[in-house]
Amino acid sequence: MAGVISTLPVRAPASAGRRATAESPLIKWLLIGVTLAFFGLFLVLPLIVVFQEAFAGGIEAYFAAFDDPATRHAIWLTLLTAAIAVPVNTIFGLAAAWAITRFDFRGKSLLTSLIDLPLWVSPVIGGLIYVLLYGRNGWLGPWLIENDIRIIFALPGIVLATVFVTFPFVARGLIPLMQAQGRAEEEAAATLGANGWQIFLRITLPKIKWGLLYGVILCNARAMGEFGAVSVVSGHIRGQTNTMPLHIEILYNEYQFVAAFAIASLLSLLALLTLVLKSIAEWRAEQQIREGARILETTTTTVP
Amino acid sequence: MSIEIRTVSKLFGKFPAVRQVSLAIETGELVALLGPSGSGKTTLLRIIAGLEFADEGEVFFAGEDVTWSSAYHRKAGFVFQHYALFNHLTIYENIAFGLRVRPRALRPPEHEVSERVHTLLEAVQLGGHEKRLPSQLSGGQRQRIAFARALAIEPRVLLLDEPFGALDAKVRKELRRWLREFHESTRLTTLFVTHDQDEAFEVADRVVIIDRGTIQQVGTPDEVRSAPANPFVADFLDCELATH
Repeated sequence: MAGVISTLPVRAPASAGRRATAESPLIKWLLIGVTLAFFGLFLVLPLIVVFQEAFAGGIEAYFAAFDDPATRHAIWLTLLTAAIAVPVNTIFGLAAAWAITRFDFRGKSLLTSLIDLPLWVSPVIGGLIYVLLYGRNGWLGPWLIENDIRIIFALPGIVLATVFVTFPFVARGLIPLMQAQGRAEEEAAATLGANGWQIFLRITLPKIKWGLLYGVILCNARAMGEFGAVSVVSGHIRGQTNTMPLHIEILYNEYQFVAAFAIASLLSLLALLTLVLKSIAEWRAEQQIREGARILETTTTTVP
Repeated sequence: MSIEIRTVSKLFGKFPAVRQVSLAIETGELVALLGPSGSGKTTLLRIIAGLEFADEGEVFFAGEDVTWSSAYHRKAGFVFQHYALFNHLTIYENIAFGLRVRPRALRPPEHEVSERVHTLLEAVQLGGHEKRLPSQLSGGQRQRIAFARALAIEPRVLLLDEPFGALDAKVRKELRRWLREFHESTRLTTLFVTHDQDEAFEVADRVVIIDRGTIQQVGTPDEVRSAPANPFVADFLDCELATH
């Protein structure tokens, strides 16, 4: 088939190129060694330390750490925050990716770069923005106090700060995927009488599902692990506004090392799980991009 | 069903893709829009399908003003140059798509869907391929599936955007003949875009020659070839400008 033939010339220069840039074995092993040393020192070793410290007092002490009501509340608050922030950012990310890849409008490139804003800004600044807006002395502070609405030092503030910090992930995952896939299939669906919602559910969503999942996983990992932004708006009220990362800090400062590392191990396990899910989703998303590119390629290279 | 467009214009940014174009296509005609690339022919076809909206002018389907109705209301069968098949769906589901997205009251029962899909697959000579995915078919087969998919909704008109442009010369000739025969038997009003004059002259009842967003000449293949209206047409068709 045409597809098989057309992929051959793409592969050939790749293997020729590898030979041309091949380095001596010494440099090769030196580079691999440096990479592994860094990897061990900065990633694996800390992870081992977390688990070692968590189990330093034995397995009973480990589980006793989770018996504390303040700890349980911190876990619950983290889950609740993620349960609100992740769906909100999934919807926002889908809407933003759709708008950016499917429509042409003024200010599109500005919007595209603004989506990345939370990645450039320090999370602490992100949290501070909300204090300046909704805090006691903030722009909307007096009005909020009058109406007895608490945002800062309460759940709404924590959710807002988390949403701010995590909003680029879904959109950033989807935009390149949707750009690679183009709009042709959606246009075809429209001419066949599908309305916007049917096009989204039957055509767009199945094509982007792995990319979407990838973004959601990253968003969730960051939402549960966020420290800086949440720290500014939370007020650190034990058993009320402490999320897991904040609670770990407090326990650590109180010299409760086993408890601190036990909760840290929970977050680490979550990170490891995220890593596995992320790899699977990433791999499937790449397949979807390649599939799209391959079909485009076979259709364009068969022109005589 | 007849198609009429009146003084249609379309700008892309500052670039005028279509300028003041008026054209009438009678019921049962097969008309080719012929022009070099960038001449605005595809834009014009997309405006007729409802995939783009004109900045000025009107579009009529059977005398009814459809200028502002969406692609989804117009029921024009559209075939894309690069097929635009749904790559995650089987051939069967690709063809059945237009029936499945109908409002519940108008949706045919499954046995009718199945019957329609099989009839169409036979019509495009691809019976037995219903369980395959588009990626398992050759270019020519994919384009025939795209035809079958567009025909499944029983469109009132058929709009083809360079339907054979991505295929090799042999397949192109076969499909050209197939299209002409299909048109003879159904008399479905058909408008197709091409930059290949042989294709336009062989298949079409009438040819519309477009350049830089405006119509240069409209006529039967013989008329256009024997009496090019202006130097552009003569040059484009590579024939002598008639001297009066």
